[in-house]
Amino acid sequence: MNEKSGWGNNVLYLLGVAAIVILIRDINVIARLPNEAQQGAIFKIIFFHVPVAFVAMTAAAVALVASVLFLITRNFRYDALAVAVTEVGLAFLAANLVTGSIWGHVIWGEWWAWDARLTSALVCWILYAAYLMLRRAVEEPTQRATFAAVWSIFSFIDVPIVIFSIKWWRTQHPQPVFWGGGSFPRDWLVIWLWNILAMMLLGAVMTVVRLRQENDQRELDSLRRTAHAM
Amino acid sequence: MHFSSVPILFAQMTTPDDIVREAARLQRNYEFLSYGLTVAWVILVIYVLMMVSRERKLKREIAHLKAMLADRQKS
Repeated sequence: MNEKSGWGNNVLYLLGVAAIVILIRDINVIARLPNEAQQGAIFKIIFFHVPVAFVAMTAAAVALVASVLFLITRNFRYDALAVAVTEVGLAFLAANLVTGSIWGHVIWGEWWAWDARLTSALVCWILYAAYLMLRRAVEEPTQRATFAAVWSIFSFIDVPIVIFSIKWWRTQHPQPVFWGGGSFPRDWLVIWLWNILAMMLLGAVMTVVRLRQENDQRELDSLRRTAHAM
Repeated sequence: MHFSSVPILFAQMTTPDDIVREAARLQRNYEFLSYGLTVAWVILVIYVLMMVSRERKLKREIAHLKAMLADRQKS
């Protein structure tokens, strides 16, 4: 390991630890906040449900940009970024769906409602899971990257539907706190923003780690080809 | 959004039944809040563990192939 990558590793781990420290501190602070008058303690799940959604939607946007750039430049670094960020986004979207389902169970009395927001979010998860499955199914690297980039661009069509579904249709899912005319007390807002920052940081660190694995995978493929040729 | 503390909520209750019902609702809310947070973290931790396992496997395979190629070049 050279000096530069060792320094990079330290920065990466430091950022990861910083994100986790912020999140642990926030859990401690959130536990001591008063309950929301109508929903009670379960409302506090918003501190995780929304930040993980932010990360997932940002990941989808980054995957879109990386996929378009791959199709334009044919540079495999963009393909690696697209797969790394998609995988991380999928994990965060899974966390978003599960926390939302638990919240819905308490407030609506049911684990799931087939309304526009929940259904489009589930479709989004399935589309990006299909992206990863597609990559496993195609052997040839250029063909794999091209098919995957086209699929990623197609999948992104669902992202605005997920975001705006609560505005476009009447849904069981409530309107967002800010965008729907509501507000948070200042201390709640500060913790919520810190949580978004921490989750974004965590997502970024996980993406960089996953990106390095893609580079290792490419090195491994190259070594395998050399071994076969010898 | 309206925020209130538990003592204020209890102060508004009129009968002992109301208090018992509200206490049960609060208990249930906390229970499901903890389930939600636990599941969200478990999903992320499982993903990190999968990444760690993949990283180890990749490093091991690269080291193995490099050693094999070095041996072949020597012989």
